Amino acid sequence: MRRSVSSTEAERPSAPGQPSGEELEGAAFDRLFRECAGDVHGYAISLLRDAAAAEDVTALAFERLFRARARLDRAKGSPRAWLFAIARNAALDELRRRRRRPLDASEQEPPDRPGAGDPIERVERSADLRAALLELSPREREIVLLKFHGQLTNAELARALGISESNAGTRLHRALLKLRDACSELGRLEVA
Amino acid sequence: MRLVPFPPPGPSPDEPTAMEVEAALHGDAVGPSAEYWRELRADVRALAPELEPELERRLRARIDERVAERRSQPARGSRRSLRSALDAWLAGGVRNRAIALGAVASLLAVVAVLAIAAPWRSAGHPAAEPPSAQNTLESASGASSNSSVEHGAAAAPRAAAGAAGAAVAPGKSQFSPQAGAEDLGPSERRIQQHAVSITLAPRPQAVQSVADQVTRLATRDGGFVLRSQVDVEPKGQSSATLQLQLPSEQLSAALASLAQLAPVRVESQSLQDITGGYDAARTKLADAVAARQALLRALAHATTQGQIESLRERLSLAGGAIARAHGEFDAISKRGSSAAIEVTVSGDAHAGGGESVLESGLNDAGEVLAVALKALLIALAALAPLTILATLLVLGWRAARRRLRERALS
Repeated sequence: MRRSVSSTEAERPSAPGQPSGEELEGAAFDRLFRECAGDVHGYAISLLRDAAAAEDVTALAFERLFRARARLDRAKGSPRAWLFAIARNAALDELRRRRRRPLDASEQEPPDRPGAGDPIERVERSADLRAALLELSPREREIVLLKFHGQLTNAELARALGISESNAGTRLHRALLKLRDACSELGRLEVA
Repeated sequence: MRLVPFPPPGPSPDEPTAMEVEAALHGDAVGPSAEYWRELRADVRALAPELEPELERRLRARIDERVAERRSQPARGSRRSLRSALDAWLAGGVRNRAIALGAVASLLAVVAVLAIAAPWRSAGHPAAEPPSAQNTLESASGASSNSSVEHGAAAAPRAAAGAAGAAVAPGKSQFSPQAGAEDLGPSERRIQQHAVSITLAPRPQAVQSVADQVTRLATRDGGFVLRSQVDVEPKGQSSATLQLQLPSEQLSAALASLAQLAPVRVESQSLQDITGGYDAARTKLADAVAARQALLRALAHATTQGQIESLRERLSLAGGAIARAHGEFDAISKRGSSAAIEVTVSGDAHAGGGESVLESGLNDAGEVLAVALKALLIALAALAPLTILATLLVLGWRAARRRLRERALS
């Protein structure tokens, strides 16, 4: 595990202060890159399970966002939400192109690099969580990853998925409950 | 990372709602449950590897490279920047979009107006295909052709002038005034007689003036007035009738000039082929001349006084026949080289002729507006289905692309 995000840290990075589409030039774009590059890359690598493809998708998402900066409508979402919507499309295109199933156990695992000093407990929990995620359907996994890495509101999530906000909330809720149950089940098995 | 014990599996009565989970993830809720969801999010995020400085540097380089690559394509780049600027402007609000829509509609209207009333279409003036035009060709010893055009009372003089020219145009090889004695071959000529009837509709008080101008116009073009009658009634229907004779080659110019004097209400042209009569007159003249020459030869060889007297008497008769034949020949030649124009000037209270500049301008403005409105309606009628079709295509394409993408998760 690389980090632990507290509740305040996990909040969306200063949405009101984020630049609008027209202002997304130079320093503002650079700031957006610093704030979001890690999350976009994390989302892409979690979905694609491929470091090189994740790097491609991340670069592509930022490039497309930069090209489309003049067309961004702030009323329809922050640049971060746009960025993740673009990254999702690029990642799905990549998946489709390579005819690969996302998060398949047989596929390449993302590089897991727990520090040497990580407690064994944390490593085990990480493994449980990974296994619990694999128990979700690809669509459920995708919405959880998009929600957690993108830190999007349900409205932004709905726009990225092309569904209604209530539908997005319901799907997310069900996926999270399923993930929680899977985690609990795995934890109980380990204890047993 | 702080480890939070997992709650027991399975649905429970105190299972969180979607809104509670959302509030917890947003940091608005407190308590063990909210803390659990936040920790879960942190754990899931922590599964992904950290963005190392080297990878971050590489990503920056790739993004910069791609952006620079796009910018290095000048043509596409300028097009894209234009598109971006337009998109940014359109995203400015409903007002900008309304302005853009108005601009597009105006542009379409202008295009439609140009398409409908373009100068290149005036060559084929409506007179070329008038609703009341009639064109007949009679073929006998003299073939003839008639074409008449009904003009609106308010038809513009220029339009009428075009009508005159256009009415002639379709059969120029036969109708052309210049073809009054058209050569069809080295040994054959077609002789044609033109007759035109035109009705001008100026304002009642301008009838006298227009009639005077018609007379001046006839003499200017090398013709003359055969007959004229002008009836001017101060409070009644004023009218004038003039019969003009003009050289055939001046007919087009004369008609155009007449059309500029007042709005043309009716115009009719007829053309009669008088080649047969012309040839007959010519043959008759030639025969008469030949007969006289034969008589002269016979007279030269006459030996008796009786023969001489008889031949002189016949020569006298032949001379008369030649004079008559010559007269007939001259008359028919004149018919072929000149055109008869009957001009009727009829006062019309609603006519545009003689109106003030302001009235004329208002009339023209009204006509332009009517045409523009018609063009706009046509453009909208054509645009509406196209817009619907394009919208459906775009929506369909987007839906198909989304389905294809979602299929990657299936």
